[in-house]
Amino acid sequence: MKVKVWGARGSVPAPGPEMNRYGGNTSCVQLMLSDGETLILDAGTGIRSLGLALKSGMPTINILLTHLHLDHIQGLMFFPPCFKTESRITIWGPASPEATLEHRVARYISAPLSPVEVRELPCDVSFLDTPASEWEIGSARIRAGSVTHRGPTLGYRITEGDTSLCYIPDHEPGLGAALEDAEPEWISGFDLAHRADLLIHDCQYTDREYPEHIGWGHSPVSDAISFGRLTEAERLLLFHHDPLHDDEFLDTLFDDAVSRWESGGGAPDRIQLAAESIEVELGPTRELAAG
Amino acid sequence: MDGAQKPLELILARNLLTSISTPAFLVDSAGTLMFYNEAAGALLGMPFEEAGQMEPDEWSSRFGPLDDDGEPIPFESLPLTVALREGRPYHANLHIHAAEGSVRAIEVSALPITAERGQSGAMAIFWPADMAGDGAEDGR
Repeated sequence: MKVKVWGARGSVPAPGPEMNRYGGNTSCVQLMLSDGETLILDAGTGIRSLGLALKSGMPTINILLTHLHLDHIQGLMFFPPCFKTESRITIWGPASPEATLEHRVARYISAPLSPVEVRELPCDVSFLDTPASEWEIGSARIRAGSVTHRGPTLGYRITEGDTSLCYIPDHEPGLGAALEDAEPEWISGFDLAHRADLLIHDCQYTDREYPEHIGWGHSPVSDAISFGRLTEAERLLLFHHDPLHDDEFLDTLFDDAVSRWESGGGAPDRIQLAAESIEVELGPTRELAAG
Repeated sequence: MDGAQKPLELILARNLLTSISTPAFLVDSAGTLMFYNEAAGALLGMPFEEAGQMEPDEWSSRFGPLDDDGEPIPFESLPLTVALREGRPYHANLHIHAAEGSVRAIEVSALPITAERGQSGAMAIFWPADMAGDGAEDGR
């Protein structure tokens, strides 16, 4: 399994020269499975570049949405395969008693927010609620579970062979609970992340910023580190950077994260701050490389 | 992890109950007592950390919900049980065995916790009757 980050920013795109190293595109991660299948985690603005890089003639493209906040779907309308008749796209997302997934996504891909409607897309696109139990896409087994955020939100665990990745980009597991004191079964997202080879997790705020954002659905550094440590993730990739955090600020945030990670017994090479174009090879080689 | 992951709505409910000063219980869909908060522990004379999770017959007998005549209330008639079974809120006045062997009159409001994929459990918030307003009525 190979992982590539196409967008690691949270909330809203944050372009600019001061953001170049970590990138300004919102959430999008590509998983390349050993059987050639590609899974896409979230459709933030990073999916536009991903779509440009995809080879034509791909089998069905599966997009797994964690939730429908704009920073996780904004790129859909600019995903080049959506405008190719030969494309087959399946979009998975959280169920809702209120409306179908297609109807909810169509609130964005419709007038007056969009010049096109979902029904006008030339590709063959289908919208599916994530199943309650594990399901398979290609060589991967997928599990979705509800996690603490604002509104219905999923985390995903994707397993291929003995290798697993957990993706919880928007998550506030410490809301109303001290993570370090909580029993594992009472921690949001715990079973999804438990002993994952790679955990991609929300780390939007510094601990100093967090008190002004309690209940917004995101984690401070300390909770992101605690969650990674408690779940015994093999490797932690900190994600969903606040749009106010430029490269220099994120460097400082990362220094703090590494310090906390190491004081909890983590190895410094097992933690990384997500940046656009970073690739992670999971499996026997387990290499981390800048793209 | 020793136990199965709890549904998110139960986790959030527990976090809420932990944060309030009104006594409260939380049960899962089978009626197992999953948690009660510090205020409930003070009223009952035993913190949850000591009591731990309890099966329905255990918690219902230990805390002895009693009617006005001091007779045990059948488990199927308890507010939490009604909320779970019927999927609706339920309010009642009853008595419980409280701290130091006392019997306290309380008012209980129970609410089912229902998520997209079905009912996960229920929570009950209760007040000593001597703290309740004059206008409180038995909802049965």
